[in-house]
Amino acid sequence: FNDTATTEIYTRSLVGSVRCVQETGVHGDWIYILMDSFALVIHGGAGVIGKGEFTPEMDKLYKQELEAALKAGYEVLIKGGTSLDAVEASVRSLEDCPLFNAGKGAVFTAEGKNELDASIMEGHTLRAGSVAGVTTIKNPISAARAVMEKSEHVMLVGKGAEEFSKKVGLVQVDPAYFYTEARYKGYLKVKEDEESKVAKCGTVGAVALDKFCNIAAATSTGGMTFKKYGRVGDTPIIGAGTYANKLCGISCTGHGEYFIRASVAHDIASIMEYKKVSLEEAAKEVVHKKLVALGGEGGIIAVDKAGNISLEFNSEGMYRGFVKSDGKFHTSIFKEEQHFIIMISLILLPVSYTHLMLQTSDL
Amino acid sequence: RRVHGIIKTQMESIALAIHGGAGVITQAKFTPEMDKIYKNELELALKAGYEILIKGGSAMNAVEASVRYLEDCPLFNAGKGAVFSAEGENELDASIMEGHTLRAGAIAAVTTIKNPITTARAVMEKSEHVMLIGQGAEEFSKKMGLEQVDPSYYYTEERYQEFLEAKKEDEKKGKKFGTVGAVALDKFGHIAAATSTGGMTNKKFGRVGGVPIIGAGTYANSLCGISCTGHGEFFIRAAVAHDIAAIMEYKKVSLDEAAKEVIHKKMIELGGEGGIIAVDNTGNISLVLNTEGMYRGFVKGDGKYYTSIFKDKQHNSI
Repeated sequence: FNDTATTEIYTRSLVGSVRCVQETGVHGDWIYILMDSFALVIHGGAGVIGKGEFTPEMDKLYKQELEAALKAGYEVLIKGGTSLDAVEASVRSLEDCPLFNAGKGAVFTAEGKNELDASIMEGHTLRAGSVAGVTTIKNPISAARAVMEKSEHVMLVGKGAEEFSKKVGLVQVDPAYFYTEARYKGYLKVKEDEESKVAKCGTVGAVALDKFCNIAAATSTGGMTFKKYGRVGDTPIIGAGTYANKLCGISCTGHGEYFIRASVAHDIASIMEYKKVSLEEAAKEVVHKKLVALGGEGGIIAVDKAGNISLEFNSEGMYRGFVKSDGKFHTSIFKEEQHFIIMISLILLPVSYTHLMLQTSDL
Repeated sequence: RRVHGIIKTQMESIALAIHGGAGVITQAKFTPEMDKIYKNELELALKAGYEILIKGGSAMNAVEASVRYLEDCPLFNAGKGAVFSAEGENELDASIMEGHTLRAGAIAAVTTIKNPITTARAVMEKSEHVMLIGQGAEEFSKKMGLEQVDPSYYYTEERYQEFLEAKKEDEKKGKKFGTVGAVALDKFGHIAAATSTGGMTNKKFGRVGGVPIIGAGTYANSLCGISCTGHGEFFIRAAVAHDIAAIMEYKKVSLDEAAKEVIHKKMIELGGEGGIIAVDNTGNISLVLNTEGMYRGFVKGDGKYYTSIFKDKQHNSI
């Protein structure tokens, strides 16, 4: 093109199809393009958070914990680590935090026990790992990762999964470890009256895109309060609660049964790939149309290979947050705080971006 | 055939397809007697489902009936005749799905339920859940009044020998899989899919394959229904059953094209052996495999039973 303005727009759209573009500019004969080199999104559960019951103190506390979880994954990505390491780190942080229904702070089954599920998936290889119905593993997401990397299998359940986890040297705990006063009170309430309004579900999860353009997704949960009969939700089901391929990665939270029936995570990936629409469109179609039509409450977080992110939910709130190459942490809980997806950063950080320099005459 | 729902034949537009497992069947070892025996059993399984469909029964009832027959038959790796885990026990999985409502039910790692597919259906119809595992699933099954058996019920000499061999060789020989399944289209235009298995020979650590995973081993919606068999891990990673349904719907191609893309292209690239049976809402049937053989059969409104085992006799895209 004869003018730099048109060239800049053209180049930006070219690059933008491959990577999220933060900023472009012209410097003499040169056009520079500032790309997002990575992205991380997390969630701490959707649904059953009544805005009326949420105090400013709680707001501060939860956002702090979400930021800490973001930080855990961010530190991995900024140092050039893999998306798999990042999502595991963020989810571990949320599992260890007693506020969320995963790991410590997990809800109780009808028998007054904790039974945990988790799954993880590596997009560019389609490798996946999952555990369900485990009771003595401190960080189920790490066990899921071990299944993926150190076994020939994808899914292990119950005592067998616990044995495997022990065999590969992961931290085991006494079942009492997961106990928190808040969750136990919730359990007693439901025990008394099964119709009582108690946070029944809840899950944690993370999706990430790393500097290698690889995507990973991870989800972990204590399941449903007062669950019976070895009930398993969508969290350990690859394709339902977690999915990742070369194009995108998704982690879900909500009323698990609906997410299984609608194969939500895989459906979002399929719609994006086969209908050739954006991640945002695909996520909205599934969460706001298909799930709502089916009657399923919940939400998702997702990232695509260009660094676009999506945080969609059809419930009142979803604990969530994200961070990109600029290092700005964003956390939200309720609907109005939803941030826009494309971010334009005016702060240049020396380590986190890639310059793509093209000479206008070459174009 | 590629135009959905416009052409209606004079025959009843019902369809039923079943499978008894893919992979690990070598034509060389298959005697004419075995051929006859297996095909006979496949026909009887087809009959069980067909009798329901032709009388105006539901696809759900048909697939359950066919799968129950295959579970009760000791030849197939589901129910009686299930393979043994590393501890010399039988742990069974099953799932079922009703296409027009997207209702689904699944159980995994159960040891005392005579017909796992029926319990999977009970989970779908009599609980608020979709998936139950282990002892909890067994408790639920008992509570529903379904038939319980002693764990030794599933034993067959053949499978036990396989287990002893596998224990000796461990990783060296090919893993033994096997599954049964059925998909059907009824007079109401409704689709159902069902799958049941004993899992993998010498499996350890509570390994669960693709069979009880909705979207992996089983899926059904208003457009089509799929049941899979093969190396389960690959079917989970590729979400095979749902992928076929998604490709058909979103790329607007035929059932057979979608099935072939997944089984002959994607699965082969990934390294996954196995096959699928599928039916769509106009009665097209697809039986696609990338292994040497897959026990399979189908029947349509005309009542003619077709059964096959190996690739050369394949009837597909009917």
